Amino acid sequence: MLLVFMVLVTLSTGLVFAGGQQESQKAEKLVIWTNLTAEAQTVVLTKQFNEIADEMGIDIEMVTVSFGDMYTKLATAMQSGDVPDIMHTNEGGVAYLYANDMLTPMNEVIGKIGKDDFVKSYLDILTVNGTVWGVPDWALHTSVWYRKDLFEKYGLNIPRNWDELMKTAKALNIDNDSDGNIDIYGFAVSMSAVNVAAQVYYEFLYSAGVYTFDPKTGEYIFGKNKKKATEVLQYMIDLYHAASPPSSIEWAWSEFRNALVEGNVAMTQDMGAVILMAQSNNPEMVGKLGCFDLPGVNGDKKASFGGSYNFVASNQGDEEKVKLAKIFLEKLYTPERAAERALSRPMFAFPSMYSAFDIYKKADSVSQYQDEVDVIYDAFQHSTWYRYGMEAGLNQMASQIEATTFFGEAIQSAALGKWTAEEAVDYIDQMLQEQLSIIGD
Amino acid sequence: MYPVDAFLGQNGMSKEMVMENSEQAYLIKSTKQGRNIFLNFYTRRKLLGVIFILPTILFLVVFILYPVLSNLFLSLTDACLTKKNYNFIGFENYLKLFTNKMFLKYSWNTLVWTFFSVIGQLVLGLGLAMLINYQTIGGPFLRGFLLIPYVVPAVALALITKWIFNGDYGIASKWLQNIGLIDYKQSPLALPGGAMAVLIFVNIWRSYPFPMLIYWAALKGIDTELYEAAGVDGANRFQSFWFITLPQLKNTTIVLAILRIVWTATYFDLIWMVTGGGPAGSTTHLPIMIYQSSFGTFRIGYASAISILLGIVLFVCIIYYVRKSGDFAD
Repeated sequence: MLLVFMVLVTLSTGLVFAGGQQESQKAEKLVIWTNLTAEAQTVVLTKQFNEIADEMGIDIEMVTVSFGDMYTKLATAMQSGDVPDIMHTNEGGVAYLYANDMLTPMNEVIGKIGKDDFVKSYLDILTVNGTVWGVPDWALHTSVWYRKDLFEKYGLNIPRNWDELMKTAKALNIDNDSDGNIDIYGFAVSMSAVNVAAQVYYEFLYSAGVYTFDPKTGEYIFGKNKKKATEVLQYMIDLYHAASPPSSIEWAWSEFRNALVEGNVAMTQDMGAVILMAQSNNPEMVGKLGCFDLPGVNGDKKASFGGSYNFVASNQGDEEKVKLAKIFLEKLYTPERAAERALSRPMFAFPSMYSAFDIYKKADSVSQYQDEVDVIYDAFQHSTWYRYGMEAGLNQMASQIEATTFFGEAIQSAALGKWTAEEAVDYIDQMLQEQLSIIGD
Repeated sequence: MYPVDAFLGQNGMSKEMVMENSEQAYLIKSTKQGRNIFLNFYTRRKLLGVIFILPTILFLVVFILYPVLSNLFLSLTDACLTKKNYNFIGFENYLKLFTNKMFLKYSWNTLVWTFFSVIGQLVLGLGLAMLINYQTIGGPFLRGFLLIPYVVPAVALALITKWIFNGDYGIASKWLQNIGLIDYKQSPLALPGGAMAVLIFVNIWRSYPFPMLIYWAALKGIDTELYEAAGVDGANRFQSFWFITLPQLKNTTIVLAILRIVWTATYFDLIWMVTGGGPAGSTTHLPIMIYQSSFGTFRIGYASAISILLGIVLFVCIIYYVRKSGDFAD
């Protein structure tokens, strides 16, 4: 009996230790959230994450959190102290985590990858007082996408200032069958309350040099620039009435892209995904589309609106966990992997590293759009771009603008004539200041 | 029957002490010991009852009482999802709400959305209930067919709505353009009044099956002799409907109206996915305001105050419903 007991004890002890050894071999696990939910992107991310996890001998758990749910889930994760070790998100998400003191500085990681290999404007947007809080992955740039064939047919040139833009847009209001109705509108000014109206307005604001925060001091200056902001909004509304389909007041991304692809509008602002839609819905249109940078009021464009995806690491784990996350991120940034991630985005997501860009532009899916790539890359390299309110670096205001509809409500009210442009800007200023007080409290 | 015999001769009890009626044994009072034994037995019985209802009580406390009280407390604080600490600020959130000009606008939108949606659902539901109440060929098929809107997911419904009301290629927009109700290439979703009207229309379409089923069940319960008697007295169909059917459905209508008011006033998905509250805030109602305050500006204290106010209005409806339910029991 005693023998049997001893055998059992020995066996069970052995099992416990065996389990312990197994546990120690696979003890480390990184939880990674990404906002990218498209299959092509998640496939690439999963592949790369698994490759690196195998190299490092760790486990990973990748969770896709759609952009629409991001703030909700981040907020609840923060409350429960359950934030992911690594997150792949846009600047709004980075700013949100930064404002809540949830991030680890990335200067060291960027230094090891090679700081000079990163496009400066990509790093600037993630920087606060010299500390970089994320590693930029790729970025999108807002351009005006237009019908090259119509420009050629009507002898139009790329507009160099806002007056020319208005004239060009009006000239492209085309009545094909002379029935008195416009069949092709010149410029789609899309204003869906959820995200789109604010994006369109910010592109015009930045082009005109109107900022929410002073790019140098970080001081809130939208209130001081209300006159200019009103003029910009008035121009946008005038353009809508002059050359945009009446229903574009409620258009979101799919509607305005579809309108360009189906030949119902001649120009629209976009970040390039319109090409993918053309490839799938109307391939004949692909060769007819081109892009140019929205000009400045008098030609001298001050800045533009963009958006990037970035990797950030949480500071919530122990020292070892944070170190592990940093090593993981370093391994993600080989030129090949960075290019592969950018290429998995539908179109015109430009990698943050020069070395990756060289690979990116040679890819079959990109090389055929060399002109467009040059236009956008030139803007990335030689001009400034911001996300909502991030003129002075990371700012939580971006997430609040992104997750609310007060911009959309004000802009739509002005477009419908319910408010004047001045009243709309007053309301935006009031709401921005309210958000500022929440952040500052 | 209580096991009185089992206690005879035990603990010094006589039969007289036990009581003359064994089924009422718990009335025994003669000896202290006897009382203890039977009270224990009776207590055990009560305890068993408590154990049976304990899960329900726990459920109500955890999922209803606690959230409501927690929400009430939060509404008196400056709680924010981006901050770990918060302060008690009394009724400041409520005062801010009443000075927010948008709150009145969104409350009005909520009222319009709820009122017309509920009226439409009840009228359509009653009409179709009367239709399926007639024994016709293919009745089961018709009943099944009419229930389809109730099982269409809100996401699919929102996408289809945006599609058919698209200003460029939406079939419904084309019809409206052709008859001159809206401009060429215009969409009703881009017009303040039009967007709300479309949403109410879609909501009525999606929600009528519930009132239809309830009305149909209620119609089945109306005594057919009433109609026969009315027919003998010379009443026509409209008079039968007006003087018999409607009064007989009064209580059903009250219950349905209250339930639909509560469900419609708090219905969020459809509006958010179709218009996002636009254009120009014309379809923003209080649930959207609550959502944006919570997950847009992260002010859950403020959002709680809005939800408490909305809750109070709906609570009045519920009280009315409970009182009416009592009337029905009488």
